[in-house]
Amino acid sequence: MQHFALTIIGRDRPGIVSQVAEILYRLGFNIADSSSSILGGQFSMILLISNPAISSKEEFSDAFTPLEESNLSVFIRTLKPGGEVRPEMAGELCMISVYGADKPGIVYQVSKELGDRKINITDLNTKLIGDESRPVYVMMIEALLPAGVGIEEIEGWMTELKKKLQVDISIRSLIAMEL
Amino acid sequence: MAVKEVLLYPDPRLKEICSKIEQIDATVDSLLQDLVDTMVAAGHSVGIAAPQIGDTRRAAVVDVAKSKLGKKQKNHGLLQMVNPEILEKAGDQVVREGCMSVPDYTGNVNRAERIVVQFLNREGQLQVIRAEGFEAIAIQHELDHLDGYLFLDRISSLKTDLFRRKQK
Repeated sequence: MQHFALTIIGRDRPGIVSQVAEILYRLGFNIADSSSSILGGQFSMILLISNPAISSKEEFSDAFTPLEESNLSVFIRTLKPGGEVRPEMAGELCMISVYGADKPGIVYQVSKELGDRKINITDLNTKLIGDESRPVYVMMIEALLPAGVGIEEIEGWMTELKKKLQVDISIRSLIAMEL
Repeated sequence: MAVKEVLLYPDPRLKEICSKIEQIDATVDSLLQDLVDTMVAAGHSVGIAAPQIGDTRRAAVVDVAKSKLGKKQKNHGLLQMVNPEILEKAGDQVVREGCMSVPDYTGNVNRAERIVVQFLNREGQLQVIRAEGFEAIAIQHELDHLDGYLFLDRISSLKTDLFRRKQK
């Protein structure tokens, strides 16, 4: 079955989710994995959807016109076969907290270190907190450490980065208790 | 004396309130053995409750001594519990939990840090123990099963709860 990724973003207000869900429901779409959140004053939705009767986005993209008319932006991505399946990801899950006085390059420099070491980021949130005179940047990263990469090793090179960026960084294991 | 199949949600038995065991007889003894066998066979598991193997009586086993996380902490080794009840709870801890009956999903759950739990052991003697840390989490998770609760009913935050606190 063809799967699509649907992204919707717009000024937050009550009723966005139901408006989107109603359109999908009436068209006969299934919603698989999805994530929605408020970023600043914007509400954003990302959904993986499928419909046994629909194989191309032209067949249903017009159905979102009412959303566009209510000031929401809609984007549809056609997935390649298998793109809806989460691959088996081995490794130790960890949480990395990065925070400090706001400055350019925090996301880039931290994520570059991770990417260069083939550490897969599975979740990333950033938020600007504090007041305007002393803005503080907070970044939370959930990442998967490949086999052979230990937390101590990351702490090692994070020490360098801490000095360079003048931010605080901590990392801890996120092993889930399987019960 | 057997490794049982672990039931997966939406099996309705996982949402039942389990019944009190009136007498520790041979059937209870073999239920506890099945629980231990199934927990051990499931390699990664640190506990299992009777409804997870399809028996809706109030029994559960916990053993954190073999797990990577649990063995570093104070624990009681293998606990075989009949009619367990939490008498006291103190403190708070958040841990990411997963469950054999709900595969491929984990979530952050708020649990008491320290508990006092009372139960009948396999020999039918009343025991009261203090548990903390991972052992306390495992006991709370398994006891929830006896009341038809899954960790999904206890999830306290989506991802990083830092962002979910009240805003100014």
